[in-house]
Amino acid sequence: MAESSPRCLSGDDLLLLGNLRPEHRPLRLPLAGASVAAGFPSPADDYIEVGLDLNELLIRHPSSTFFLRVSGDSMQGAGIQHGDLLVVDRSLEARPGLIVVAVLDGAFTLKRLARHRGRLRLEAANSAYPPLELHRCGDVQIWGVAVHVIHPLARHG
Amino acid sequence: MADAIALIDANNFYASCEQALDPSLLGRPVVVLSNNDGCVVSRSSEARQLGIAMGKPYFQIAAQLARHGVVVRSSNYALYGDMSQRLMSCLEPHVAELEVYSIDEAFARLPRPRHSDLNRWASALRSRIRHNLGLPIAIGLAPSKVLAKLANHVAKADSHHAGVFDLGCCGDPSPWLERTPVEEIWGVGRQLSRWCRLRGIANARQLRDMASGELRAKAGVVGVRLQLELQGMSCLPLEEAPAAKRETCVSRSFSRPISDEAELRQAVASYVVRAAEKLRRQGQRAGRITVFARTSPFAPGFYSQAASMGLPLASNDTAVLLQAALRLVPGLYRPHKRFAKAGVLLQELQPEQQLQHHLLAPLTAEQQRRREALMQQIDGLNRRYGRGCVQWGACGLDPAWAMRRERLSRAATTRFSDLPTAWAR
Repeated sequence: MAESSPRCLSGDDLLLLGNLRPEHRPLRLPLAGASVAAGFPSPADDYIEVGLDLNELLIRHPSSTFFLRVSGDSMQGAGIQHGDLLVVDRSLEARPGLIVVAVLDGAFTLKRLARHRGRLRLEAANSAYPPLELHRCGDVQIWGVAVHVIHPLARHG
Repeated sequence: MADAIALIDANNFYASCEQALDPSLLGRPVVVLSNNDGCVVSRSSEARQLGIAMGKPYFQIAAQLARHGVVVRSSNYALYGDMSQRLMSCLEPHVAELEVYSIDEAFARLPRPRHSDLNRWASALRSRIRHNLGLPIAIGLAPSKVLAKLANHVAKADSHHAGVFDLGCCGDPSPWLERTPVEEIWGVGRQLSRWCRLRGIANARQLRDMASGELRAKAGVVGVRLQLELQGMSCLPLEEAPAAKRETCVSRSFSRPISDEAELRQAVASYVVRAAEKLRRQGQRAGRITVFARTSPFAPGFYSQAASMGLPLASNDTAVLLQAALRLVPGLYRPHKRFAKAGVLLQELQPEQQLQHHLLAPLTAEQQRRREALMQQIDGLNRRYGRGCVQWGACGLDPAWAMRRERLSRAATTRFSDLPTAWAR
């Protein structure tokens, strides 16, 4: 959408908004129960200083971390479902065993990098998809290493 | 040993950003167009090799681009802004001091090791940025900013330098200075270069070696500093914190000329909305607002007009600024003129916290606080759900004059709905 072009709002758009959190503040959740019903203050209260920040947990290198959306079922065996959000860190070195985003035929492809009989290959986590021997495909570039997958279990609100 | 100054910049930044987030563009010729899909402003190296010229109007070369299979993109500022921030924060831990000079370049200061050049350091940094962000960069190193800029040119121009050149450690830099025309020296404007040429000073070496008295008489202390920098003495310090802006401007060309006053009002209103948002992000308020509009300078009967007013109380409230701007529009408008461009300038900017409560202020402190909270909510929604999610009525809905960006790529790094796809197939 053009940066300066306003868009007509419809009822659907308004429904989409749901929970809003206007500012990009890290989400801090208190560690221990600060509210005590009555009487004595919690002995833990003195220790409540830090909260939990999911960004901190999921993103070690913010400047080289990108989000991608998963499409397809070939990585089901690794717990990655269609529609999941993938956290990809480009600063990590790809090693056998890691799940990587590779550039194959001009598209991002999600596979596990593996060593098989001394040779590197890209494997799916679903027996319906055959492995790709790296020495047989011409130009494959490893774009980044998948570090987390975010899978929703219930819709918010 | 003295510190080294580096000038680090991204090659073909806009086109490189497009390629970094869209794997179908890797290895393919890509060009990015300016606002309104006007001219070519960035070319990938593949497009450059095809001989596609910079700055050419798109409509003139559309056929040539199509013939070569060149991918054409509109400017995607959300993507470039985000990648720029990533680039700068990747560079920051590797240097002692960083001055972000523009969206795609930065000066850096770092200690120079004794008896060795910084080529290896620079090559390692270059591969790291390529690996972590997918962006190609070039690094020029020298004892001063002016020379670092020159070294960066050499790094990019000669492919055997592989994007890295240390001018501070190659013996006499004179041959490199000699190859640099005086017009290409950083900080030499058109006037000074013309003056140099008239005196037979054609390149950087000659400027470095000319009598400094003569240069001082012409260009004052600026000229003297420039010469010292060319001699390898650092006189221009790095500026880490950018100076607070004194003005903020939003202006755009229309996709087609506007002759209708209501449309001009809408255009001005939408620039005010944008400018006010910028102001709040910068934590500033404006004491004065100027609006301007003009017809095309290439068409007969050129007309250009500006109107300005001071605000009784400095503000960054969109409603207040809109009211002021819309009162100025009738002063700009002339019937039958075909307006091609308009803009809004917010001036006399001051930090937000400086505002003292005014006896004549139209709002009570509580009302003021609520207005500010409202602006914050609007900015938050627009940031999160895309600009235009919450709009001001004065801007109109889907205006026909809005900037053309027909080949816009997705906001792949800033919007959840626009993320690239990782295929699991």
